[in-house]
Amino acid sequence: MVATAQETAASPAVRARARRQRDEELLVWPDLVFVEFIAAVVFTLSLTALSILINAPLLDRANAGVTPNPSKAPWYFLNLQELLLHMHPALAGVIVPTVALIALGAIPYFDRSHDGQGEWLATPRAKLNLIIGAVVGAVGTLLLIIWDGSKHVVLWARLTGNDVSDWPTKLNWLRSARALQIHINWPEELLSIPLGEKVLRTDLLGLPRVDLNVNLPALIVEQALPTALMVGLPLLMAFILHRQGIARTKRDHMIAQFSGFIAVFVVLTVIGTAFRGQGMELLWPQDVGMPVS
Amino acid sequence: MATTERPEGRSLGDRVYDMLFHNYVWQSIFRSGYPNTPRNQMLVVATNVFLHLHPTRIHRTHVKITHTYCLGGLSFFLFLGLTITGVLLMFYYVPSVERAYEDILALETDVRFGILMRNMHRWMAHGMVIMVLLHMMRVFYTGAYKPPREFNWVVGVVLLVLTLLLSFTGYLLPWDQLAFWAITVGTNMVGSAPILGEPNRFALIGGFVVGPNALIRFYTLHVIGLPLLAAIFMAVHFWRIRRDGGLARPL
Ligand code: HEM
Repeated sequence: MVATAQETAASPAVRARARRQRDEELLVWPDLVFVEFIAAVVFTLSLTALSILINAPLLDRANAGVTPNPSKAPWYFLNLQELLLHMHPALAGVIVPTVALIALGAIPYFDRSHDGQGEWLATPRAKLNLIIGAVVGAVGTLLLIIWDGSKHVVLWARLTGNDVSDWPTKLNWLRSARALQIHINWPEELLSIPLGEKVLRTDLLGLPRVDLNVNLPALIVEQALPTALMVGLPLLMAFILHRQGIARTKRDHMIAQFSGFIAVFVVLTVIGTAFRGQGMELLWPQDVGMPVS
Repeated sequence: MATTERPEGRSLGDRVYDMLFHNYVWQSIFRSGYPNTPRNQMLVVATNVFLHLHPTRIHRTHVKITHTYCLGGLSFFLFLGLTITGVLLMFYYVPSVERAYEDILALETDVRFGILMRNMHRWMAHGMVIMVLLHMMRVFYTGAYKPPREFNWVVGVVLLVLTLLLSFTGYLLPWDQLAFWAITVGTNMVGSAPILGEPNRFALIGGFVVGPNALIRFYTLHVIGLPLLAAIFMAVHFWRIRRDGGLARPL
């Protein structure tokens, strides 16, 4: 190729650098076009093979009168459906995914450094932060699901040779998140706090009174506690990683948080797909049966 | 290749090659022969309408499979494959509550290669969701969202949402129990949002329950609305890759 005007006009040093960069470059035809072609062929062949071997599912005709048990969303939304079992539907179905997407889109606006750009995990502590983030995310999610599904009680019964019903009554509040609401003697006043009469005095503005009675224990279990955990645990991880000198730069923190997010996403999706059977009960995959999608 | 230069001793292969590629019709389509000099290879990439999405040269690390694993390219490839199989499926499918399920059944039993088309469309759709998620992870772990590529990452997030919506709207179309209840569960989640949830759900499915209105809305979004949006965002995505100086490199 003829040297460009820019190249000829530049100083010898710049020219040398440009030439060195050139040496590092390949022509798109044939080098890249060839790779793309092979990838497309391999992919077409394997998809055709897959489609010959496995048929797409088709169940009975849609019937609004017959609700399958369990009814599940498509697999990529089962993470949200899993969240739905543990918290207020508005939180699980709308607020969490919205906040997650906004946070995802905002990553480059938090971490604007050039550290580790253009190479796999190129910063010094990248792999360590990835592993810690992913393990904390996965194990944390699993433990929370086990707790909310009361499976720690089953485990305790297995280990001690007791029956599940032998769990001490005094510790009933530790059975699950919901148990905090049911098995604690909350003062009567807290079960129905008339916000409409005491706090939101819309009647003073000449508007109709709002009928808003808040059940505090339910609010704690369905909204406050899940929010605190979903915000607090990642922050706690960031704090500890920072104190331990494991996450020192913004890129370090981003890697830990993103890996944690991916791990949570995967664990929730897998649990929702393969470990939830009738009545969305937590079961082993062989008792759930083959997922259809 | 001028035949006059070698008047004698031409093999059969040469003659067949000439007949195939040096005739008037072929050369009216492809103006030059196989580009076997660097200059012609760059020209072909720069002037061919399909190839010119690429730059003419590319850094050697970006050609290594392990840099991108071709994940973005495969997402795009799946999008194209889904368009082709989707158009074929549209020949047979009518989005009405009376016909949708029967049409899918007929497609599987009466239409030659119908079941293959349906299977390919479905597995490609699942594949695209997986590829896009993996592509996002590769972009993240190679630090390719960093300046000046911040906005292309945001475009990517929009593409991720569009991909999920494309898959979700297609999920209802077979009108079987799987489709109906998955969409019922999914749209109920939308309905649970504070204040705006119910109106949004109503607008999405055109009623209080999933029925004929939901089917036609999902169909329209699935075959034209969302693919059009996705194509526009993909055009921006690819354009930005070029404007941002190709794939990210260490600085
Ligand atoms: C339909 C979905 C998508 C398609 C078809 C697509 C396509 C592509 C292609 C072909 C490339 C070139 C390099 C490669 O193959 O990896 C690319 C790069 C890129 N993509 Fe995507 N993409 C999609 C979704 C996303 C998502 C979800 C994100 C992030 C959230 C994203 C962010 C980026 C960025 C920042 C680059 C530049 C990478 C670099 O400079 O190394 N894309 N995309």
